[in-house]
Amino acid sequence: MNAVFPTPDAAESQRLLSPEEMEAALRDIGARRYHNLHPFHRLLHDGKLSKDQVRAWALNRYYYQAMIPVKDAAVLARMTDASLRRIWRQRIVDHDGDHEGDGGIERWLKLAEGVGFDRDYVLSTRGILSATKFSVEAYVHFVSERTLLEAIASSLTEMFSPTIISERVAGMLKNYDFITKDTLAYFDKRLTQAPRDADFALDYVKQHATTPELQRQAMAALIFKCNVLWTQLDALYFAYVAPGMIPPDSWRPGEGLIAETAPDQAAGGSRKMVAEDRPRLPRGVRLRNDETRGKYVLLAPERTFDLDDNAVAVLKLVDGSRSVAAIADELGKTYAADPRAIEADILVMLDGLAEKRVLER
Amino acid sequence: MNAVTPNRPEAPAPVGLLAELTHRCPLRCPYCSNPLELDRRSGELDTATWQRILTEAAGLGVLHVHLSGGEPTARNDIVEITKTCADLGLYSNLITSGVGGALGKLQALYDVGLDHVQLSVQGVDAQNAEKIGGLKNAQPQKFEFAAKVVELGLPLTLNSVIHRGNIHEVSGFIDLAVKMGAKRLEVAHTQYYGWAFVNRAALMPDKAQVDESIRIVEAARERLKGQLVIDLVVPDYYAKYPKACAGGWGRKLMNVTPQGKVLPCHAAETIPGLEFWNVNDHSLGEIWRDSPAFTAYRGTDWMQEPCRSCDRREKDWGGCRCQALALAGDAAATDPACSLSPLHAKVRALAVEEAAENPPDYVYRTIGSNVRSPLKEEVHS
Repeated sequence: MNAVFPTPDAAESQRLLSPEEMEAALRDIGARRYHNLHPFHRLLHDGKLSKDQVRAWALNRYYYQAMIPVKDAAVLARMTDASLRRIWRQRIVDHDGDHEGDGGIERWLKLAEGVGFDRDYVLSTRGILSATKFSVEAYVHFVSERTLLEAIASSLTEMFSPTIISERVAGMLKNYDFITKDTLAYFDKRLTQAPRDADFALDYVKQHATTPELQRQAMAALIFKCNVLWTQLDALYFAYVAPGMIPPDSWRPGEGLIAETAPDQAAGGSRKMVAEDRPRLPRGVRLRNDETRGKYVLLAPERTFDLDDNAVAVLKLVDGSRSVAAIADELGKTYAADPRAIEADILVMLDGLAEKRVLER
Repeated sequence: MNAVTPNRPEAPAPVGLLAELTHRCPLRCPYCSNPLELDRRSGELDTATWQRILTEAAGLGVLHVHLSGGEPTARNDIVEITKTCADLGLYSNLITSGVGGALGKLQALYDVGLDHVQLSVQGVDAQNAEKIGGLKNAQPQKFEFAAKVVELGLPLTLNSVIHRGNIHEVSGFIDLAVKMGAKRLEVAHTQYYGWAFVNRAALMPDKAQVDESIRIVEAARERLKGQLVIDLVVPDYYAKYPKACAGGWGRKLMNVTPQGKVLPCHAAETIPGLEFWNVNDHSLGEIWRDSPAFTAYRGTDWMQEPCRSCDRREKDWGGCRCQALALAGDAAATDPACSLSPLHAKVRALAVEEAAENPPDYVYRTIGSNVRSPLKEEVHS
């Protein structure tokens, strides 16, 4: 894997790098070590993971998200300059929000819920891999114990995140039918927040790493942070991809999820039609013989649906008392066909109308 | 059939009739689609004439009747007219502001077979909504009306006309529709004809706001699939291709004004030189087939380039004639909302420029006002 940016050999030497060289050296670290290169992320973005593997990622990554404000508060606590704190505290606001239901952590919870998790289970952090916890906590310790320069430099992975976010959002939307744009709302915000944060941190590091020693420390801090991210994915890969060794007490597929039908009910009864349902046309939807044009049409609010002969045959039998199965039976007799095969077709057609809100059950 | 114009394109059977029963309305929205010169009550058609129109419309093949205005429930015979629709098998759609007498007549309308209610909401925040509609205390009346519609079991559509005064409320409109129990929501960016043309500078949002509103609607459509259907009408000035005005001139819709003039679209009277026939002088069928206004831009023979040789000519039918007149100075030109129009860049620039400035005050719609369309300031080239 070739680095996008030149590696200044100066990084190895005792020479003081110019601000431009310093930035190039930092970017080179990302080009080699940022977790977009990790095999787990490649699988994630290319749609190669199962739904449960995506769930494991969402759950574990929650721990990282939840600890970020703790980490930033630790950085903040070390800043003696009010103007620095004013800038840094924005990170905490971004993650925690200004009120209940707001902020990055909340958006991550939405993502976890979007892939099927029960909110309380995620909040409890019970199923998080120990390795995830160790890794994240190491990050919090690092920023508390090292110099402020190193603490700030360790945040510089944000320089690389817009790339991974764009890849991730596009890839996940394309490859997973259970992922929607809403589920990924977290990343929308980060696309603007991360570069803003990174610009500040990069300037700070360039200004304050004034000796070769300080520059090396800043680079080492960024490498450390890349490893914090990388090891989290190692742990996920090990537990949920190969060899698939899930440690005791960690999340196992099936745990902590809300019942599969629950989200559909929450969305206003949009579950799929089943054979036992008794469909009906609600008020404001009428099947009408359009004599002028010599065909049946379905009249609905500000819409007219053209119907083929099969749809007309079905809708003539839709009366709120016949079940889908009964309709299929009747049509099976009329057309001397297998009622169960007809039933499958009818369900698809009726679901289509229900989705447009012109049919109820 | 007509010896004078033997090659005239055949008139397809009309699908919809927009019945502007009255121009009277308790609201004064600055984007009202009614003409600048509003008809007065004294000139309105009587009940029997409307019933004849509806009967003739059903005979021509009309399926949907949109009972509109002004505020249609301002007419005392709205229940009778609705019943006539039901008797004829016509699908009746009440397009209402929900204020004034609307609530009091709702039960009776339901009883005679009203099919659907489209309720306008000007804003989500009451103060903002009432500023836009120009009527104090309108919002609670609308909410009460909506609740009653849903309680009766009538399908409810909320219609929100979007402009810079409420574009920040798009997600609020979506939440409101869900909360009210509406099945449909129309997020309709203002179309700049009539009063909206006069108020364009006060109404035009900027491109970023428009894009954001589209993004919000698309996300909500996905989220609310099976619960709320959201129709989105994007603003013409920012679109790539124009809309097929009224589904194509004289192809699907006709519009009867309070005084009985029959128009191919509600703004057609802004086009000078067009001759509109009145239901008092002709049957609806004659008007639809033969009246000069309907035949003027029906089909594609009237088109100029770039429409004439365009692949899309039978998709969008050249866009909107009224807008072509307003912006290009020629009703037979390509709608400048079309990116293929030579004037498109100017129109787009105009939108951007107006959206960048501080909005002027609204010119509220009023019967008997002296407001004139500011066509002279346009981009005639």
